[in-house]
Amino acid sequence: MAQNSAVAEAGSKPQKAKAPSPHSGMSRALVRRETISAYLFLLPSLLFFVTFVVVPMFICVYYSLTVYGLGGVKGFAGLNNYLKLFQDPIFHRGLLNTILIVVVAVPTVTAFSLWVSSAIYKMHTVPRSFFRCVFYLPVVTGSVAITVVWKWILHPYNGVLNQVIGTTGFDWLGNQKTAIWFIILILFTTSIGQPIVLYVAALGNVDNSIIEAAEVDGATRLQVFWKIKWPSIMPTTLYVLVITTINSFQCFALIQLLTKGGPLNSTMTIMYQVYDTAYRLNDLGYACAIGVVLAVIIAIFSAIQFKVAKTD
Amino acid sequence: MKLKRIFALGLALAMTLSLAACGSKTSTSQSGSSAAASGGSSASGSGTEISLWAFNIGGFTEASNWDSLIAAFNQKYPDITVKVTPINYQDGDQKLTSAISGGSAPDIIFEGPERIVGNYAREGLMVDLSDLWTASGSDIPEGINAVSQLDGKYYLYPLSAAAHCMAINYEAFEAAGALQYIDEETRTWTTDNFVKAMEAVRDAIDAGTINITVPGIIYCGAQGGDQGTRALVNNLYSDYYVTEDGSSYNANSANNVKALTLLQDMVNNGSMSANASFAASEELQAFANQTCAVSFCWNYSNYSQYASQTQFTPFAMAFPSDDGTPELEMAGPYGFGIFNNKDEAKIDAAKKFVDFVCNDQTAGVEAVKTTGFFPVHSEWGDVYADAEDADVRAPFALMNEYLGRYYNLTGGWTEQRALWWPMLQEIMTTGADPKVAADNFVTQANANIA
Repeated sequence: MAQNSAVAEAGSKPQKAKAPSPHSGMSRALVRRETISAYLFLLPSLLFFVTFVVVPMFICVYYSLTVYGLGGVKGFAGLNNYLKLFQDPIFHRGLLNTILIVVVAVPTVTAFSLWVSSAIYKMHTVPRSFFRCVFYLPVVTGSVAITVVWKWILHPYNGVLNQVIGTTGFDWLGNQKTAIWFIILILFTTSIGQPIVLYVAALGNVDNSIIEAAEVDGATRLQVFWKIKWPSIMPTTLYVLVITTINSFQCFALIQLLTKGGPLNSTMTIMYQVYDTAYRLNDLGYACAIGVVLAVIIAIFSAIQFKVAKTD
Repeated sequence: MKLKRIFALGLALAMTLSLAACGSKTSTSQSGSSAAASGGSSASGSGTEISLWAFNIGGFTEASNWDSLIAAFNQKYPDITVKVTPINYQDGDQKLTSAISGGSAPDIIFEGPERIVGNYAREGLMVDLSDLWTASGSDIPEGINAVSQLDGKYYLYPLSAAAHCMAINYEAFEAAGALQYIDEETRTWTTDNFVKAMEAVRDAIDAGTINITVPGIIYCGAQGGDQGTRALVNNLYSDYYVTEDGSSYNANSANNVKALTLLQDMVNNGSMSANASFAASEELQAFANQTCAVSFCWNYSNYSQYASQTQFTPFAMAFPSDDGTPELEMAGPYGFGIFNNKDEAKIDAAKKFVDFVCNDQTAGVEAVKTTGFFPVHSEWGDVYADAEDADVRAPFALMNEYLGRYYNLTGGWTEQRALWWPMLQEIMTTGADPKVAADNFVTQANANIA
């Protein structure tokens, strides 16, 4: 029983100690000055954030309640744009596809990143940097370059994939059954770089003395991971989950460059429908309504993830 | 501590100012055009600055080809500055929609009636150009006159026009014994002969006689180049895309369903292929690479773009029709529209520019030649008569004789374009019943026709 004492101790919730206030010992004037300095440092990015994120969000909500086309706002629509969503089969298909992408991509990206990170974080600097670089390369490569390469690979007549498996003529991106899975695959390859870098850093920061103590006590590798490393990297996991979820929900460039939502809406996503409705059909009010719904869905998913991770 | 506070304040100020500087630099350097469009205070010196957003039509894909025209214009109007912003069909609509909804539309747009009249004039965004038409438009053909106006006012002033056609790989057809099915002089063929020719190409591929992968590709991955598939379907059994009175889309007519069924059969028997991941640009590239033996999206502009890549003779052909008399879609007429940016000085300057480029014969002929198409002014005659590549242009001039009805201003045109290629996907790649798919298309397309 004693063998897992270190593991149990490490795995248990930390005792709440009365932490000293970061401002203890400082005079009120000093605290005020420090606070003002901090806000001044934040000011440029805050201005940027408010101007280009917060204000447009409210404008978007307003436009979603209007009939808004190329000629400007033509009238108040009330909730009509939202009610239209319930009867729009393209939106339904887009919603299902978006959820499919999130449900498949987020766990696989997280699990694969963690697995790779676990394998490489103890390596020497050179091989570790090499692997980080390899996995991070698709992140820094432009979406256009990546899709061009994938288009070559998947080209029905001259593509490498068809040449290798002898299926010349098969249209992977033009087939309803396969197109969405290739979108997910490409999204996967472009999404794992950042989580791997984060996980490698987080795993490197886990207190080695606790791990060694647990190993001395006879803890298995699984127990060490589950009871020591996993709780330590939970904040990173939460960040990875939220960021990957948001990126998956907002999957747009791949769709735009590879399939344009087809064939027969089989790769349509909510994000692409926002673009398509706004810029091709010029129905800006309806596009804003779809955008608002997407924002609400992302907020709900993120809240659930925060809740689950916090409980854990 | 005081030093630290001063440093912090200074840093914050510097960051804020640099942010503001970046912002202001972006707004002016994005293009001179957007600055010009946003108000009347952007005149350069004592003159007026106007912005021109030009789609990549023919030689104007290269934005520098505007330079000589603008230089000639400035000889006559030295106080008007014209800033050109090139845009393309991939993201041009997005840029224009953003600019228009952001209140910074360009002063002039260079495109065709589908956008200028069908989209922007219909939304009340364009300036009435009737005065230009009254002054100089008397020799412009009636068909082009008709598509340049809406509710009795002219919103497009045209420069050039042509006909969309298709092309075959001459050497591949020759090797496959398929040239017997085309009339090389008139560049026409019947539907029966088209079917026979494509089967001959298929058989030659199967026998290894020609190094082509598929006879032809019905592209249906996006709306780019959809004029080609529209014309193919409509010509096969001599029908139209829209009913004569313009009250309904017509894909579900008996003849059009017959045409769709024929194409579906050809896909099934291998004399044609269909790709739901291909738009016209992919099909054109496949044609240039000799992956397929025909292209359904051909005109002089595409010829000039792909000619350098081809190692065969791309032989322009009219679309096949059951009676051998094709009716082709018009490419263009390409010309200018002027956005109503509420600045009379700019509108006046923009009109002067449009008048100069389209009506001054010297400048106009140069502009027409740059598009690669043919002048709308019938009095200008054959502008390519002395051109070195007159032989290459001749087939495209011939195609003008087959121009058919222009229906791209039918109500709900933008919306129906989003429905056409999914209908083709359904029929050609999933084996759906052509009649059912066409009925669905017409029902949905007609919902926006009013």
